[in-house]
Amino acid sequence: MDLDFSVALTYLPVMLKATLLTITLALVTQTLGTSIGFVFALGRTSRSRILRFVVWAYVWLFRGTPVLLHLFFVYYAAPLFGVTLDAIPAAIIAMTLSSAAYNTEILRAGIQAVHPGQVEAAEAVGMRYSRIVRHVIAPQAVRIVIPPYMSNFISHTKNTSLASVITVPELMLTSQMVYSSTYRAIEILTVAGLIYLLLTSCLTGLQLWLERRTSYEARGMSRRRRAIFLGKAPASAPREA
Amino acid sequence: MTEAKTPMIDARDVRKTFGDFQALKGVSLAVDQGEVVCLIGPSGSGKSTLLRCINHLEVPDSGNIEVDGQPVGYTTTDGRSRRKSSREIAQMRSQIGMVFQMFNLWPHISAIENVALGLTKVKGMPVEQAAEIARTQMDRVGLAQKCDAFPEHLSGGQRQRVAIARALAMEPKVMLFDEPTSALDPELVGEVLNVMESVAADGMTMIVATHEMGFARKVADKVVFMDDGNDVETGAPDKAFDAPESERLRRFLNRVLA
Ligand SMILES: Nc1ncnc2c1ncn2[C@@H]1O[C@H](COP(=O)(O)OP(=O)(O)OP(=O)(O)O)[C@@H](O)[C@H]1O
Ligand SMILES: [Mg+2]
Repeated sequence: MDLDFSVALTYLPVMLKATLLTITLALVTQTLGTSIGFVFALGRTSRSRILRFVVWAYVWLFRGTPVLLHLFFVYYAAPLFGVTLDAIPAAIIAMTLSSAAYNTEILRAGIQAVHPGQVEAAEAVGMRYSRIVRHVIAPQAVRIVIPPYMSNFISHTKNTSLASVITVPELMLTSQMVYSSTYRAIEILTVAGLIYLLLTSCLTGLQLWLERRTSYEARGMSRRRRAIFLGKAPASAPREA
Repeated sequence: MTEAKTPMIDARDVRKTFGDFQALKGVSLAVDQGEVVCLIGPSGSGKSTLLRCINHLEVPDSGNIEVDGQPVGYTTTDGRSRRKSSREIAQMRSQIGMVFQMFNLWPHISAIENVALGLTKVKGMPVEQAAEIARTQMDRVGLAQKCDAFPEHLSGGQRQRVAIARALAMEPKVMLFDEPTSALDPELVGEVLNVMESVAADGMTMIVATHEMGFARKVADKVVFMDDGNDVETGAPDKAFDAPESERLRRFLNRVLA
Protein backbone atom coordinates (compact mmCIF):
# COMPACT_ATOMS: atom_id res chain seq x y z
CA MET A 1 0.00 0.00 0.00
CA ASP A 2 1.44 3.36 -0.92
CA LEU A 3 0.48 6.42 1.02
CA ASP A 4 0.81 9.90 -0.36
CA PHE A 5 0.43 12.65 2.17
CA SER A 6 1.22 15.36 -0.36
CA VAL A 7 -2.47 15.24 -1.27
CA ALA A 8 -3.30 16.06 2.30
CA LEU A 9 -0.91 18.97 2.17
CA THR A 10 -2.55 20.29 -0.97
CA TYR A 11 -5.97 20.18 0.59
CA LEU A 12 -4.88 21.33 4.06
CA PRO A 13 -6.12 24.91 3.58
CA VAL A 14 -9.57 23.60 2.63
CA MET A 15 -9.62 21.33 5.63
CA LEU A 16 -8.48 24.06 7.97
CA LYS A 17 -11.26 26.28 6.74
CA ALA A 18 -13.70 23.45 7.48
CA THR A 19 -12.09 23.10 10.91
CA LEU A 20 -12.97 26.71 11.58
CA LEU A 21 -16.61 25.83 10.96
CA THR A 22 -16.31 22.80 13.24
CA ILE A 23 -14.88 24.99 16.00
CA THR A 24 -17.56 27.62 15.51
CA LEU A 25 -20.31 25.03 15.57
CA ALA A 26 -18.93 23.43 18.73
CA LEU A 27 -18.38 26.70 20.57
CA VAL A 28 -21.66 28.33 19.60
CA THR A 29 -23.82 25.34 20.45
CA GLN A 30 -21.92 24.55 23.63
CA THR A 31 -22.27 28.16 24.79
CA LEU A 32 -25.97 28.29 23.99
CA GLY A 33 -26.49 24.82 25.44
CA THR A 34 -24.69 25.80 28.65
CA SER A 35 -26.72 28.99 29.08
CA ILE A 36 -29.99 27.21 28.51
CA GLY A 37 -28.79 24.28 30.62
CA PHE A 38 -27.99 26.65 33.50
CA VAL A 39 -31.47 28.15 33.49
CA PHE A 40 -32.99 24.68 33.15
CA ALA A 41 -30.86 23.36 36.00
CA LEU A 42 -32.23 26.12 38.23
CA GLY A 43 -35.71 25.10 37.08
CA ARG A 44 -34.94 21.48 37.77
CA THR A 45 -33.92 22.32 41.35
CA SER A 46 -36.67 24.87 41.98
CA ARG A 47 -39.57 24.47 44.36
CA SER A 48 -42.09 24.52 41.53
CA ARG A 49 -43.25 21.04 40.70
CA ILE A 50 -44.44 22.08 37.23
CA LEU A 51 -41.12 23.66 36.39
CA ARG A 52 -39.26 20.60 37.60
CA PHE A 53 -41.47 18.37 35.47
CA VAL A 54 -41.17 20.48 32.32
CA VAL A 55 -37.39 20.46 32.53
CA TRP A 56 -37.32 16.77 33.35
CA ALA A 57 -39.49 16.05 30.30
CA TYR A 58 -37.21 18.14 28.08
CA VAL A 59 -34.14 16.25 29.21
CA TRP A 60 -35.95 12.93 28.85
CA LEU A 61 -36.88 13.72 25.26
CA PHE A 62 -33.64 15.20 23.98
CA ARG A 63 -31.27 12.93 25.83
CA GLY A 64 -33.35 9.93 24.88
CA THR A 65 -33.18 10.42 21.12
CA PRO A 66 -30.14 10.51 18.80
CA VAL A 67 -28.54 13.79 17.81
CA LEU A 68 -28.53 12.50 14.25
CA LEU A 69 -32.30 12.38 14.38
CA HIS A 70 -32.49 15.92 15.80
CA LEU A 71 -30.38 17.14 12.91
CA PHE A 72 -32.58 15.56 10.26
CA PHE A 73 -35.69 16.54 12.11
CA VAL A 74 -34.87 20.23 12.47
CA TYR A 75 -33.63 20.37 8.90
CA TYR A 76 -36.62 18.67 7.29
CA ALA A 77 -39.36 19.68 9.72
CA ALA A 78 -38.63 23.41 9.63
CA PRO A 79 -40.54 23.95 6.35
CA LEU A 80 -43.65 22.51 8.00
CA PHE A 81 -43.55 25.53 10.28
CA GLY A 82 -43.23 27.87 7.34
CA VAL A 83 -39.47 28.44 7.50
CA THR A 84 -36.71 26.95 5.49
CA LEU A 85 -33.50 26.67 7.37
CA ASP A 86 -30.08 26.54 5.87
CA ALA A 87 -27.97 23.62 6.97
CA ILE A 88 -25.81 25.62 9.39
CA PRO A 89 -28.63 27.28 11.36
CA ALA A 90 -30.45 23.94 11.44
CA ALA A 91 -27.34 22.27 12.84
CA ILE A 92 -26.92 25.02 15.43
CA ILE A 93 -30.50 24.57 16.60
CA ALA A 94 -30.34 20.79 16.71
CA MET A 95 -27.01 20.63 18.48
CA THR A 96 -28.03 23.31 20.97
CA LEU A 97 -31.13 21.30 21.85
CA SER A 98 -29.13 18.25 22.82
CA SER A 99 -26.30 20.20 24.41
CA ALA A 100 -28.87 21.94 26.63
CA ALA A 101 -30.27 18.60 27.74
CA TYR A 102 -26.89 17.20 28.78
CA ASN A 103 -25.72 20.42 30.38
CA THR A 104 -28.94 20.67 32.39
CA GLU A 105 -28.13 17.37 34.02
CA ILE A 106 -24.47 18.16 34.56
CA LEU A 107 -25.15 21.57 36.10
CA ARG A 108 -28.01 20.23 38.19
CA ALA A 109 -25.67 17.68 39.72
CA GLY A 110 -23.29 20.52 40.62
CA ILE A 111 -26.01 22.63 42.19
CA GLN A 112 -27.33 19.72 44.21
CA ALA A 113 -23.88 18.73 45.41
CA VAL A 114 -23.73 21.97 47.40
CA HIS A 115 -24.90 21.14 50.91
CA PRO A 116 -28.37 22.58 51.63
CA GLY A 117 -27.09 23.84 54.99
CA GLN A 118 -24.86 26.27 53.16
CA VAL A 119 -27.77 27.70 51.25
CA GLU A 120 -29.68 27.99 54.52
CA ALA A 121 -26.78 29.77 56.15
CA ALA A 122 -26.80 32.26 53.28
CA GLU A 123 -30.56 32.69 53.60
CA ALA A 124 -30.19 33.21 57.33
CA VAL A 125 -27.72 36.03 56.71
CA GLY A 126 -30.34 37.64 54.49
CA MET A 127 -28.93 36.88 51.05
CA ARG A 128 -31.40 36.68 48.20
CA TYR A 129 -31.47 33.65 45.93
CA SER A 130 -29.72 35.25 42.97
CA ARG A 131 -26.86 36.28 45.26
CA ILE A 132 -26.75 32.84 46.84
CA VAL A 133 -26.44 31.25 43.42
CA ARG A 134 -23.71 33.67 42.47
CA HIS A 135 -21.64 33.65 45.65
CA VAL A 136 -22.34 30.35 47.40
CA ILE A 137 -23.64 27.76 44.94
CA ALA A 138 -21.85 28.60 41.70
CA PRO A 139 -18.28 28.80 43.01
CA GLN A 140 -18.59 25.37 44.57
CA ALA A 141 -20.68 23.82 41.82
CA VAL A 142 -18.26 24.95 39.12
CA ARG A 143 -15.49 22.90 40.61
CA ILE A 144 -17.60 19.79 40.95
CA VAL A 145 -18.92 20.18 37.46
CA ILE A 146 -15.69 20.70 35.53
CA PRO A 147 -14.78 17.05 34.82
CA PRO A 148 -18.21 15.90 33.57
CA TYR A 149 -18.80 19.22 31.84
CA MET A 150 -15.54 19.02 29.92
CA SER A 151 -16.08 15.36 29.03
CA ASN A 152 -19.39 16.31 27.57
CA PHE A 153 -17.85 19.29 25.77
CA ILE A 154 -15.32 16.95 24.19
CA SER A 155 -17.88 14.47 22.95
CA HIS A 156 -20.07 17.35 21.82
CA THR A 157 -17.18 18.67 19.75
CA LYS A 158 -16.74 15.31 18.06
CA ASN A 159 -20.50 15.09 17.52
CA THR A 160 -20.40 18.18 15.31
CA SER A 161 -19.21 15.72 12.65
CA LEU A 162 -22.79 14.43 12.54
CA ALA A 163 -23.85 17.73 11.00
CA SER A 164 -22.22 16.45 7.82
CA VAL A 165 -25.39 14.45 7.14
CA ILE A 166 -27.37 17.63 6.52
CA THR A 167 -24.62 19.05 4.28
CA VAL A 168 -22.91 21.34 6.78
CA PRO A 169 -19.44 21.66 5.26
CA GLU A 170 -17.59 21.06 8.53
CA LEU A 171 -14.43 19.03 8.84
CA MET A 172 -15.95 15.57 8.37
CA LEU A 173 -18.00 16.38 5.28
CA THR A 174 -15.14 18.33 3.77
CA SER A 175 -12.79 15.40 4.34
CA GLN A 176 -15.23 13.06 2.64
CA MET A 177 -15.50 15.36 -0.34
CA VAL A 178 -11.74 15.65 -0.58
CA TYR A 179 -11.06 11.92 -0.49
CA SER A 180 -13.89 11.00 -2.84
CA SER A 181 -12.33 13.20 -5.48
CA THR A 182 -8.71 12.27 -4.71
CA TYR A 183 -9.17 8.63 -3.65
CA ARG A 184 -6.81 9.27 -0.75
CA ALA A 185 -9.17 8.30 2.06
CA ILE A 186 -6.54 7.02 4.52
CA GLU A 187 -4.37 10.11 4.24
CA ILE A 188 -7.24 12.57 4.46
CA LEU A 189 -8.93 10.73 7.32
CA THR A 190 -5.63 10.60 9.20
CA VAL A 191 -5.25 14.34 8.88
CA ALA A 192 -8.89 14.89 9.92
CA GLY A 193 -8.36 12.61 12.90
CA LEU A 194 -5.27 14.55 13.94
CA ILE A 195 -7.18 17.81 13.69
CA TYR A 196 -9.99 16.45 15.91
CA LEU A 197 -7.39 15.20 18.34
CA LEU A 198 -5.79 18.62 18.45
CA LEU A 199 -9.14 20.26 19.18
CA THR A 200 -10.05 17.84 21.94
CA SER A 201 -6.53 18.09 23.39
CA CYS A 202 -7.05 21.83 23.74
CA LEU A 203 -10.20 21.07 25.73
CA THR A 204 -8.34 18.58 27.90
CA GLY A 205 -5.76 21.25 28.58
CA LEU A 206 -8.49 23.74 29.39
CA GLN A 207 -9.93 21.23 31.83
CA LEU A 208 -6.63 20.86 33.68
CA TRP A 209 -6.24 24.61 33.86
CA LEU A 210 -9.78 25.10 35.15
CA GLU A 211 -9.39 22.38 37.74
CA ARG A 212 -6.25 23.99 39.06
CA ARG A 213 -7.77 27.45 39.03
CA THR A 214 -10.85 26.43 40.97
CA SER A 215 -9.21 24.34 43.66
CA TYR A 216 -9.66 26.87 46.41
CA GLU A 217 -8.12 24.90 49.30
CA ALA A 218 -4.88 24.37 47.49
CA ARG A 219 -4.56 27.96 46.34
CA GLY A 220 -5.70 29.75 49.47
CA MET A 221 -6.59 33.42 49.25
CA SER A 222 -5.35 35.36 46.30
CA ARG A 223 -2.90 38.18 46.93
CA ARG A 224 -5.54 40.73 46.07
CA ARG A 225 -8.00 39.28 48.57
CA ARG A 226 -5.28 39.01 51.22
CA ALA A 227 -4.47 42.66 50.77
CA ILE A 228 -8.11 43.64 51.19
CA PHE A 229 -9.16 41.32 53.97
CA LEU A 230 -6.04 40.98 56.06
CA GLY A 231 -4.99 44.56 55.61
CA LYS A 232 -1.52 43.50 54.55
CA ALA A 233 0.54 44.66 51.65
CA PRO A 234 0.27 42.01 48.95
CA ALA A 235 4.02 41.65 48.54
CA SER A 236 4.68 40.74 52.16
CA ALA A 237 1.71 38.40 52.43
CA PRO A 238 2.86 35.11 53.92
CA ARG A 239 1.50 31.97 52.34
CA GLU A 240 0.02 29.40 54.62
CA ALA A 241 -1.40 26.01 53.84
CA MET B 1 -43.09 56.68 82.72
CA THR B 2 -43.26 53.05 81.77
CA GLU B 3 -44.77 51.79 78.57
CA ALA B 4 -45.96 48.26 78.29
CA LYS B 5 -42.79 46.69 76.93
CA THR B 6 -43.21 44.61 73.80
CA PRO B 7 -40.98 41.57 73.75
CA MET B 8 -38.10 41.44 71.27
CA ILE B 9 -39.28 38.05 70.09
CA ASP B 10 -42.91 37.20 70.45
CA ALA B 11 -44.15 33.85 69.17
CA ARG B 12 -47.77 32.96 69.75
CA ASP B 13 -49.43 29.62 69.25
CA VAL B 14 -47.03 28.48 66.51
CA ARG B 15 -48.03 25.29 64.75
CA LYS B 16 -46.12 23.34 62.17
CA THR B 17 -46.75 19.95 60.61
CA PHE B 18 -44.54 17.93 58.29
CA GLY B 19 -46.81 15.66 56.28
CA ASP B 20 -49.08 14.35 59.00
CA PHE B 21 -46.50 14.73 61.75
CA GLN B 22 -47.09 17.63 64.13
CA ALA B 23 -43.70 19.07 65.01
CA LEU B 24 -45.10 22.13 66.79
CA LYS B 25 -48.49 21.92 68.43
CA GLY B 26 -49.06 25.53 69.44
CA VAL B 27 -45.91 26.94 71.01
CA SER B 28 -45.74 30.38 72.56
CA LEU B 29 -42.59 32.15 73.62
CA ALA B 30 -41.77 35.72 74.54
CA VAL B 31 -38.22 36.99 74.85
CA ASP B 32 -37.46 40.47 76.11
CA GLN B 33 -34.67 42.61 74.82
CA GLY B 34 -31.35 41.44 76.21
CA GLU B 35 -32.84 38.27 77.58
CA VAL B 36 -31.27 34.85 77.08
CA VAL B 37 -33.67 31.96 76.71
CA CYS B 38 -32.51 28.36 76.60
CA LEU B 39 -34.67 25.79 74.86
CA ILE B 40 -34.23 22.36 76.30
CA GLY B 41 -36.01 19.13 75.60
CA PRO B 42 -35.56 15.70 74.12
CA SER B 43 -34.55 15.07 70.54
CA GLY B 44 -37.45 15.60 68.15
CA SER B 45 -39.34 17.86 70.55
CA GLY B 46 -39.40 20.73 68.05
CA LYS B 47 -36.60 23.03 69.22
CA SER B 48 -34.99 23.38 65.81
CA THR B 49 -38.33 23.73 64.10
CA LEU B 50 -39.29 26.61 66.41
CA LEU B 51 -36.00 28.43 65.79
CA ARG B 52 -36.33 27.90 62.05
CA CYS B 53 -39.86 29.31 62.12
CA ILE B 54 -38.59 32.44 63.86
CA ASN B 55 -36.36 33.35 60.91
CA HIS B 56 -38.77 31.89 58.39
CA LEU B 57 -36.54 29.05 57.19
CA GLU B 58 -39.68 27.06 57.95
CA VAL B 59 -43.07 28.60 57.29
CA PRO B 60 -45.39 27.93 60.21
CA ASP B 61 -48.87 26.61 59.42
CA SER B 62 -50.45 29.02 61.86
CA GLY B 63 -49.63 31.28 64.74
CA ASN B 64 -47.94 34.61 64.88
CA ILE B 65 -44.28 35.47 65.24
CA GLU B 66 -42.97 38.97 65.71
CA VAL B 67 -39.39 40.14 66.02
CA ASP B 68 -38.97 43.66 67.36
CA GLY B 69 -42.64 44.29 66.72
CA GLN B 70 -42.47 43.23 63.07
CA PRO B 71 -44.44 40.17 62.03
CA VAL B 72 -42.20 37.57 60.45
CA GLY B 73 -43.35 36.41 57.04
CA TYR B 74 -46.33 38.73 56.88
CA THR B 75 -46.72 42.42 56.51
CA THR B 76 -49.75 44.64 56.96
CA THR B 77 -50.44 47.54 54.67
CA ASP B 78 -53.67 49.54 54.94
CA GLY B 79 -55.07 47.01 57.37
CA ARG B 80 -54.62 44.15 54.92
CA SER B 81 -52.05 41.51 55.60
CA ARG B 82 -50.09 39.79 52.86
CA ARG B 83 -47.12 37.47 52.61
CA LYS B 84 -43.79 39.19 52.55
CA SER B 85 -41.87 39.19 49.30
CA SER B 86 -38.61 37.29 49.15
CA ARG B 87 -36.83 40.64 49.34
CA GLU B 88 -38.65 41.57 52.53
CA ILE B 89 -38.01 38.17 54.05
CA ALA B 90 -34.31 38.44 53.25
CA GLN B 91 -34.22 41.91 54.78
CA MET B 92 -35.89 40.61 57.93
CA ARG B 93 -33.52 37.65 58.17
CA SER B 94 -30.52 39.96 58.04
CA GLN B 95 -31.63 41.22 61.46
CA ILE B 96 -31.88 37.73 62.92
CA GLY B 97 -28.57 35.95 63.41
CA MET B 98 -28.58 32.17 63.25
CA VAL B 99 -25.94 29.68 64.29
CA PHE B 100 -26.37 26.11 63.16
CA GLN B 101 -25.40 22.82 64.72
CA MET B 102 -23.26 21.90 61.69
CA PHE B 103 -21.67 25.41 61.40
CA ASN B 104 -22.56 25.66 57.70
CA LEU B 105 -19.56 27.76 56.83
CA TRP B 106 -18.96 28.31 53.13
CA PRO B 107 -15.95 26.13 52.32
CA HIS B 108 -14.79 27.97 49.21
CA ILE B 109 -13.78 31.20 50.97
CA SER B 110 -11.56 31.99 53.93
CA ALA B 111 -12.89 32.46 57.45
CA ILE B 112 -12.81 36.24 57.28
CA GLU B 113 -14.57 36.23 53.92
CA ASN B 114 -17.28 34.07 55.47
CA VAL B 115 -17.77 36.82 58.01
CA ALA B 116 -17.67 39.62 55.44
CA LEU B 117 -19.88 38.14 52.72
CA GLY B 118 -23.20 39.16 54.25
CA LEU B 119 -21.93 42.70 54.78
CA THR B 120 -21.04 43.18 51.13
CA LYS B 121 -23.83 41.17 49.53
CA VAL B 122 -26.71 41.99 51.86
CA LYS B 123 -25.80 45.36 53.32
CA GLY B 124 -24.00 46.48 50.18
CA MET B 125 -21.00 47.65 52.15
CA PRO B 126 -17.72 48.47 50.38
CA VAL B 127 -15.39 45.52 50.74
CA GLU B 128 -12.73 47.41 52.73
CA GLN B 129 -15.26 48.46 55.33
CA ALA B 130 -16.69 44.93 55.49
CA ALA B 131 -13.17 43.54 55.95
CA GLU B 132 -12.59 45.94 58.82
CA ILE B 133 -15.75 44.81 60.59
CA ALA B 134 -15.00 41.17 59.86
CA ARG B 135 -11.53 41.54 61.41
CA THR B 136 -13.10 43.05 64.52
CA GLN B 137 -15.56 40.18 64.77
CA MET B 138 -12.89 37.55 64.21
CA ASP B 139 -10.97 39.17 67.04
CA ARG B 140 -14.04 39.19 69.23
CA VAL B 141 -14.39 35.40 68.91
CA GLY B 142 -10.67 34.97 69.54
CA LEU B 143 -9.68 34.05 66.01
CA ALA B 144 -7.77 37.09 64.84
CA GLN B 145 -4.93 34.78 63.83
CA LYS B 146 -7.14 32.56 61.70
CA CYS B 147 -8.61 35.12 59.33
CA ASP B 148 -7.05 33.61 56.22
CA ALA B 149 -7.74 29.97 57.11
CA PHE B 150 -10.24 28.04 55.06
CA PRO B 151 -13.00 26.28 57.00
CA GLU B 152 -11.60 22.81 56.41
CA HIS B 153 -8.38 23.83 58.14
CA LEU B 154 -10.21 24.88 61.30
CA SER B 155 -11.27 22.74 64.24
CA GLY B 156 -14.98 22.33 64.95
CA GLY B 157 -14.85 24.82 67.79
CA GLN B 158 -13.08 27.36 65.61
CA ARG B 159 -15.58 26.86 62.81
CA GLN B 160 -18.46 27.48 65.14
CA ARG B 161 -16.81 30.63 66.44
CA VAL B 162 -16.42 31.86 62.86
CA ALA B 163 -20.11 31.10 62.33
CA ILE B 164 -20.93 33.20 65.40
CA ALA B 165 -18.73 36.02 64.10
CA ARG B 166 -20.49 35.77 60.74
CA ALA B 167 -23.88 36.22 62.41
CA LEU B 168 -22.70 38.98 64.76
CA ALA B 169 -21.14 40.97 61.93
CA MET B 170 -24.62 41.68 60.58
CA GLU B 171 -25.46 43.44 63.89
CA PRO B 172 -28.62 41.43 64.34
CA LYS B 173 -31.31 42.35 66.84
CA VAL B 174 -31.48 38.77 68.05
CA MET B 175 -29.36 35.64 67.80
CA LEU B 176 -30.71 32.13 67.45
CA PHE B 177 -28.42 29.21 68.30
CA ASP B 178 -29.51 25.72 67.26
CA GLU B 179 -27.50 23.27 69.34
CA PRO B 180 -24.26 25.09 68.60
CA THR B 181 -22.07 22.64 70.49
CA SER B 182 -23.75 19.30 69.75
CA ALA B 183 -21.45 18.45 66.85
CA LEU B 184 -18.28 19.26 68.79
CA ASP B 185 -15.77 17.08 70.58
CA PRO B 186 -16.23 17.58 74.33
CA GLU B 187 -12.96 19.44 74.75
CA LEU B 188 -14.03 22.04 72.16
CA VAL B 189 -17.42 22.80 73.70
CA GLY B 190 -16.07 25.23 76.29
CA GLU B 191 -14.50 27.71 73.85
CA VAL B 192 -17.80 28.09 71.99
CA LEU B 193 -19.86 28.43 75.17
CA ASN B 194 -17.43 31.09 76.43
CA VAL B 195 -17.97 33.13 73.29
CA MET B 196 -21.73 32.75 73.61
CA GLU B 197 -21.59 33.82 77.23
CA SER B 198 -19.70 36.96 76.29
CA VAL B 199 -22.22 37.72 73.56
CA ALA B 200 -24.98 37.37 76.15
CA ALA B 201 -23.06 39.60 78.55
CA ASP B 202 -22.95 42.27 75.83
CA GLY B 203 -26.73 42.40 76.00
CA MET B 204 -27.71 40.37 72.94
CA THR B 205 -31.19 38.90 72.87
CA MET B 206 -30.68 35.17 72.43
CA ILE B 207 -32.54 31.92 72.07
CA VAL B 208 -30.31 28.90 72.49
CA ALA B 209 -31.48 25.36 71.84
CA THR B 210 -29.03 23.29 73.81
CA HIS B 211 -28.30 20.12 75.69
CA GLU B 212 -25.70 21.96 77.81
CA MET B 213 -27.56 22.20 81.10
CA GLY B 214 -24.62 23.86 82.82
CA PHE B 215 -24.70 26.69 80.30
CA ALA B 216 -28.47 27.03 80.62
CA ARG B 217 -28.28 27.27 84.37
CA LYS B 218 -25.46 29.79 84.32
CA VAL B 219 -26.38 32.08 81.43
CA ALA B 220 -30.12 31.76 80.79
CA ASP B 221 -32.63 34.21 82.17
CA LYS B 222 -35.35 31.78 81.32
CA VAL B 223 -35.51 28.12 80.41
CA VAL B 224 -38.19 26.69 78.17
CA PHE B 225 -38.71 22.96 78.27
CA MET B 226 -40.19 21.53 75.10
CA ASP B 227 -41.56 18.08 74.65
CA ASP B 228 -43.48 16.52 71.81
CA GLY B 229 -44.13 19.82 70.03
CA ASN B 230 -45.34 21.66 73.13
CA ASP B 231 -43.76 24.25 75.39
CA VAL B 232 -44.35 22.28 78.55
CA GLU B 233 -42.75 24.48 81.16
CA THR B 234 -41.15 27.91 81.27
CA GLY B 235 -39.28 29.34 84.20
CA ALA B 236 -36.12 30.75 85.72
CA PRO B 237 -33.25 28.24 85.50
CA ASP B 238 -33.06 27.69 89.25
CA LYS B 239 -36.69 26.86 89.39
CA ALA B 240 -36.76 24.76 86.24
CA PHE B 241 -33.76 22.70 87.26
CA ASP B 242 -34.24 22.48 91.02
CA ALA B 243 -38.00 22.50 91.38
CA PRO B 244 -39.57 21.48 88.09
CA GLU B 245 -43.34 21.56 88.12
CA SER B 246 -44.15 19.08 85.43
CA GLU B 247 -43.56 15.39 85.64
CA ARG B 248 -42.17 15.35 82.08
CA LEU B 249 -39.45 17.91 82.85
CA ARG B 250 -38.53 16.03 86.02
CA ARG B 251 -38.11 12.82 84.05
CA PHE B 252 -36.13 14.60 81.32
CA LEU B 253 -33.76 16.15 83.86
CA ASN B 254 -33.28 12.83 85.60
CA ARG B 255 -32.27 11.35 82.30
CA VAL B 256 -29.85 14.05 81.12
CA LEU B 257 -28.33 14.94 84.48
CA ALA B 258 -27.92 11.36 85.61
N1 LIG C 1 -38.26 18.99 57.04
C1 LIG C 1 -38.82 18.04 57.81
N2 LIG C 1 -39.59 17.07 57.26
C2 LIG C 1 -40.17 16.13 58.02
N3 LIG C 1 -40.06 16.05 59.34
C3 LIG C 1 -39.32 16.98 59.97
C4 LIG C 1 -38.66 18.01 59.23
N4 LIG C 1 -37.99 18.79 60.10
C5 LIG C 1 -38.22 18.25 61.32
N5 LIG C 1 -39.02 17.17 61.26
C6 LIG C 1 -39.50 16.37 62.38
O1 LIG C 1 -40.04 17.23 63.34
C7 LIG C 1 -39.71 16.78 64.64
C8 LIG C 1 -39.12 17.89 65.43
O2 LIG C 1 -37.85 18.14 64.89
P1 LIG C 1 -36.83 19.20 65.47
O3 LIG C 1 -35.63 19.13 64.60
O4 LIG C 1 -37.49 20.51 65.61
O5 LIG C 1 -36.50 18.59 66.89
P2 LIG C 1 -35.38 19.03 67.91
O6 LIG C 1 -36.06 19.31 69.19
O7 LIG C 1 -34.56 20.12 67.33
O8 LIG C 1 -34.53 17.72 68.06
P3 LIG C 1 -32.95 17.51 68.15
O9 LIG C 1 -32.57 17.65 69.58
O10 LIG C 1 -32.75 16.12 67.65
O11 LIG C 1 -32.30 18.52 67.25
C9 LIG C 1 -38.80 15.59 64.48
O12 LIG C 1 -39.54 14.41 64.72
C10 LIG C 1 -38.37 15.64 63.06
O13 LIG C 1 -38.21 14.35 62.54
MG1 LIG D 1 -32.60 20.21 66.55
